[in-house]
Amino acid sequence: MDLSRLDRRIIFLIIAIVVIVPMLFDVTPEVQITKDTEQIFDAIDSLKTGDYLMVSFDFEAASFPEMRPLASVILNHSFEKDLKIIGLALFSEGTAIGYTLLEQIAREYDKVYGVDYVYLGFRPQYVSAILGMGESIIKVFPEDYLKQPLEKYPDFLELENYENLPLLVSVADGSLPIHWADYANARYGQRVAVACAAVMVTAFKPYFESGQLIGPAAGVKGAAEYEKLLGYEGAAHRRLFTQSVVHLAIIILVIVANVSAYVWRKK
Amino acid sequence: MRTRFPIAICFVFGIFTLLQYFSKHPTLTAMYAEILDWMQIVFVFTLLVGVISIFKIHSAKISRQERDWPYSILTILGIVVMAVLGFGYGTEYGSPFLWIFQNIQVPMQSTMFALIAFFVASAAYRGFRFRNKEAAVLLITAIIVMLGRVPLGHQISDLIPQTAQWIIDNPSTAAKRGILIGIGLGSITTALRVILGIERSYLGGRS
Repeated sequence: MDLSRLDRRIIFLIIAIVVIVPMLFDVTPEVQITKDTEQIFDAIDSLKTGDYLMVSFDFEAASFPEMRPLASVILNHSFEKDLKIIGLALFSEGTAIGYTLLEQIAREYDKVYGVDYVYLGFRPQYVSAILGMGESIIKVFPEDYLKQPLEKYPDFLELENYENLPLLVSVADGSLPIHWADYANARYGQRVAVACAAVMVTAFKPYFESGQLIGPAAGVKGAAEYEKLLGYEGAAHRRLFTQSVVHLAIIILVIVANVSAYVWRKK
Repeated sequence: MRTRFPIAICFVFGIFTLLQYFSKHPTLTAMYAEILDWMQIVFVFTLLVGVISIFKIHSAKISRQERDWPYSILTILGIVVMAVLGFGYGTEYGSPFLWIFQNIQVPMQSTMFALIAFFVASAAYRGFRFRNKEAAVLLITAIIVMLGRVPLGHQISDLIPQTAQWIIDNPSTAAKRGILIGIGLGSITTALRVILGIERSYLGGRS
């Protein structure tokens, strides 16, 4: 039997099994912390109590399962450090997701909306929104997500533009961190850290190497490393076991296909 | 006039945004902030054009009963229902709009995205073959990076994640940097051609 021509439905079934079965076991693999994740952790950790931190939820609904653990560790760390968080979204789909996540985690830390955090919501045309905030944040977002004027929150009035913002974190599944680098960092010198989908790391690598972006914490592995740095093993650790098994299964399948194709050719 | 006017607008705004980058003069900064507002307003109108276009395409499909036309009804229904709920009851926390988004759209899109894992596995099974030297390099690189990006690689040997990181940091980044420099030079050239009115394809004609 030529296994290299295996019916794709059998491959789908194998993948389904190796995704579902590991989820039934509560295994948390040992995670090694990489310098990339350490960089974004250190950038947030170096902020002082009461410093502003802008978190941009630059992802869409499709990648929420991968982005949620990343966004959660960033918000957990920020609330633990008593930073003042300004949430926003430059993709319309990230707006509600970001707000819900921010609310959930803020509740765990007994944080108060308008005092410890605000959510600005969504603005279309991310290039002009990023550039506009460099001039005046209140001009781009005169009202927050709850339709309240920003003047209502005196704790956030000092935040005029990027000048008073020591760090911005883009939690992104696509190429938006490049726009943050191109427009917020290159033009206004804004420090931008990135928590991104694992697949995007190579796209951003030149920006990290040049120091225009900080990080990244990437994918489920990056989130698991961050959890370890925060001193707990959460959802990312559990997902990482499943990811390990799936990667191994794909590698075994590729080896089987190659060996089978070689043997079949010999015959 | 139909071509000269848009070219003139393009030239004036192109030169202005280029020059104001080098100046911190308050008047120029204020004008620039105003232009950024206009950009958002113009973008919102393009969204409107997109919605009208979707309506036109799917209405035509329904009226001609083309292949899979019932899906077009669902598409239009989806837009209408979400627009009515959004404008009628708001989009804030607890609204029907947000309930539908969180309980229908998020799970559906996540499911679609998750299916990629199955197709990637199937494509890897068929595509990653030891056919020649180049394919062998690709195959071995893929295996090292896949193992190096999960804890399993570290458990087998520290060398695997180190090699995976070296691949990402060096050959992969070098290639990506080359592509980025190419894109940058291309963007500058295209921008200059548009500003100077040499590139006119955005007007709907030939450049």
